[in-house]
Amino acid sequence: MKTDNHIPPGWGYNPAQWSQRIPIVILAIIGFGIAVYLSLYQLNIIDEVWEPFFGKGSIKILNSKVSNVLPVPDAVLGAFGYLVDAVTGVIGGTYRWRTKPWVVIVFGLAVGPLGLVSIMLVVFQPVLFSAWCTFCLASAVISILMIGPAMDEMLASLQYMQRAKKKKLSLWKVFWGVKSEIKKVN
Amino acid sequence: MWAQIINTILGLWLMIAPAVLNYDNDLANNSYIVGPLIITFSVIAYWEATRVVRKWNYPLAIWLLAYFLFFDYSSEIGLINNITVGVLVFVFSTVKGKVEGTYGGGWGSLWKKDPIHYKEEN
Repeated sequence: MKTDNHIPPGWGYNPAQWSQRIPIVILAIIGFGIAVYLSLYQLNIIDEVWEPFFGKGSIKILNSKVSNVLPVPDAVLGAFGYLVDAVTGVIGGTYRWRTKPWVVIVFGLAVGPLGLVSIMLVVFQPVLFSAWCTFCLASAVISILMIGPAMDEMLASLQYMQRAKKKKLSLWKVFWGVKSEIKKVN
Repeated sequence: MWAQIINTILGLWLMIAPAVLNYDNDLANNSYIVGPLIITFSVIAYWEATRVVRKWNYPLAIWLLAYFLFFDYSSEIGLINNITVGVLVFVFSTVKGKVEGTYGGGWGSLWKKDPIHYKEEN
């Protein structure tokens, strides 16, 4: 039976298997490392930031108004975002698209919108400040690479919830993975 | 997927073209905004389950073509460049490529009354 392999109905593979998730978690950890490094600079804990290509670009970007529009610098928020990505990427077994839809959906939402925020920050760099920042670009590349591979699992969870809805189950309980409800739908 | 890789390269080219071809400011800003978005959507479309996102580049491509109708420009080469990129991005966005998986009917199934993944189950 397909369900024994935890493959969702109508799918050819299980999007929650570890070979699908580990690359995303590794990317999130690298992104977290970069964001922590940039945070240290923005919080004045280190005085310099490595910039091999764009001269004073990084300094210009990291001290810009946009970077500091919120109470905490943007790199700190980025680090927090990557941490959420990594943690929600790891939580749950290979059946989690069904047993923990909430984790999969939080994971998908964290990866998707965080990626979009990264792109916004890339757009701001040349348009508003006529500068580029190597590590900021690297962070954006990582964010963008994570979106595609994370979305398939979210799709499987959403389809699962759609089936639960068709069976008139409580979507609230299904979302939180209440065991009595899980048994009623594939 | 090769078509989406070409679009990623075209998006990258948009980001460096203003420096290479000496655009005027507004046209350059347009490239700086549209370039990263084209890169993003084309990269997301590398994966089969999100191949549909390639279509999000249609409006961006059309915008590159239509820009001169709404704004002034002084760099002819910049405009020609952006229009050429727009045409190419549009063409390559239409290429679906090989999609072997079924993905329970994909994203479209979420809005269907009788989705494939539900039939599969019953």
